[in-house]
Amino acid sequence: MGWSLVCPAVVILLLMTIAPTIYLLQSSFFSFTLLNPELKRFVGLQNFVQVILDPTIRHGILVTLLFVVLAVGIELIAGLILAVALAPRSLGNTIGSTVLLLPFAVTPVVSALIWRQLLNPNYGWVDYYLQRLGIIGRPIEWLSSAPTAWVAIVGLDVWQWTPFVALILMAGLQGIPKEPQEAAAVDGANAWQTFWHVTLPQLRPFIALAVLLRLVEAFKTFGTVQILTGGGPGRATELINLTLYRIGLQDFQIGAAAALGILFLILLSIIVSQLLQVLGKNTELLE
Amino acid sequence: MPDIDSKRMPLKVAGRLVVWGSIVAALVPLIFMLITSIKPTGDAQTIPPKWVFVPTLEHYEAVFGGQTSSSQAFLPLLWHSAIVAMCSTALTILVGLPAAYALARVRFKGRHFLATWILSTIMFPPIVAAIPVFIIAGQLQLIDTYPILIIPYTAFNLPLVVWLLRSFIAQIPAEIEDAARVDGCSRIGVLRKIILPLVVPGLAAGATLSLILCWNEFLFALTLTRSDVKTAPVGINEFTGMFGTQWGNLTAASTAIVAPILVMTLVLRRRLISGLTLGAVK
Repeated sequence: MGWSLVCPAVVILLLMTIAPTIYLLQSSFFSFTLLNPELKRFVGLQNFVQVILDPTIRHGILVTLLFVVLAVGIELIAGLILAVALAPRSLGNTIGSTVLLLPFAVTPVVSALIWRQLLNPNYGWVDYYLQRLGIIGRPIEWLSSAPTAWVAIVGLDVWQWTPFVALILMAGLQGIPKEPQEAAAVDGANAWQTFWHVTLPQLRPFIALAVLLRLVEAFKTFGTVQILTGGGPGRATELINLTLYRIGLQDFQIGAAAALGILFLILLSIIVSQLLQVLGKNTELLE
Repeated sequence: MPDIDSKRMPLKVAGRLVVWGSIVAALVPLIFMLITSIKPTGDAQTIPPKWVFVPTLEHYEAVFGGQTSSSQAFLPLLWHSAIVAMCSTALTILVGLPAAYALARVRFKGRHFLATWILSTIMFPPIVAAIPVFIIAGQLQLIDTYPILIIPYTAFNLPLVVWLLRSFIAQIPAEIEDAARVDGCSRIGVLRKIILPLVVPGLAAGATLSLILCWNEFLFALTLTRSDVKTAPVGINEFTGMFGTQWGNLTAASTAIVAPILVMTLVLRRRLISGLTLGAVK
């Protein structure tokens, strides 16, 4: 009974997760390019050795980890502040929580294209109004140098996803019981002490959930960065997803892409299994 | 106690500033998009940016009439996106709801393992699946067909939807079900007559999330479609062609992509917020 109800969902999931993994695992032991499929030959672990020794790949993994940590870290802190400000029920906050639903529904490809126009050094709003406010002297070519390109990709992710984190935490703040906070206030705790020692621990399940969902999605980031910087300048913002796309689906080096894909999967499995344990400890979502 | 109130005053002001600052920050890119889409071509790219101009619908006419330098008329692309999003969402609910019910209510061997495994597939990066799917779809001649988008999208949204529905179902008191079973209702009957009506809010949240995610998907659509089922997020890139970006057309097309989901989001906002917390908050 149980299995027959679960079966269709499991089949579709197997088809799109385990099956591709097996295919990749098998391809990773071959020298295999789609441009010349007849030349497919067994090379053992050579693809893995190549991928591990390739400095651009190591750079790609570091870029990915840095992006995920920066983006999710900023989103968590800013989201927490925003959630606290949004939690009291008032007209302004109702408007706020409604408007803040918008960014995360915006098609990421569209937000990247809009971002590119806003950051355009000739006609973009950002450079013009920063100059008018006297913050910068002359226009910045945001996407032409590595540090500013990083500001752009992290900034876009923060714009798109901070409200998502804030709304989860706001729902949490509105749902937790108020008595412990009142008791702390009566006992003479100031606002900051109450927040740090009482509210924050109560909020832990929601923080765990928001961080898990955001981390998982941040590791999958592809379209926004592909459109905003294309991984550039040079390879400065080339996330591992962009590298995989370039090697596998543009250069058609299936063997090398497969090896990199398998390594990426192993890395992600380790991170996510740790996260699920944290989630399991802090919430009832895993029973 | 006026004492405490006066101490809390600066905090309140700071809170207001944070909220209104965030509202402005959230809206600026959307306002830019909307304004640029109705600016006459000559006024779109100017320094300083023009705030006073005669609004025009020329870009919308160009985009929908197919009179742009992009290779394809835009309206069919929106249609492709809508078909893929609706079919995939329907399939996700169809296979996700029974699975969620079984994981929440039916005691069977391996249930806990299955529940954890389904949730953990949420981390599976689409790019890793895209490469094998691209090769096999090529061999089976499935490139540029609807199923080759619908099946992967369903798989990517299933973990979230199953998880959400499972926690909604778990919150329905088991006594209601037991009473119906005692009265001779079959398990399927219970699912249809008792669970389904009670789980409608969860279904709305899950379906909305699934529609948004399908409508916005880029990687698989880019890899697996050419022209017959090319979706809007892929097609919109053609407005940034080799002759420089056509800001008016690009923002008009952007508005056309984003408008339906923004409206849906606003209409269903309560459901969405409860969905975001996977049903942990009602």
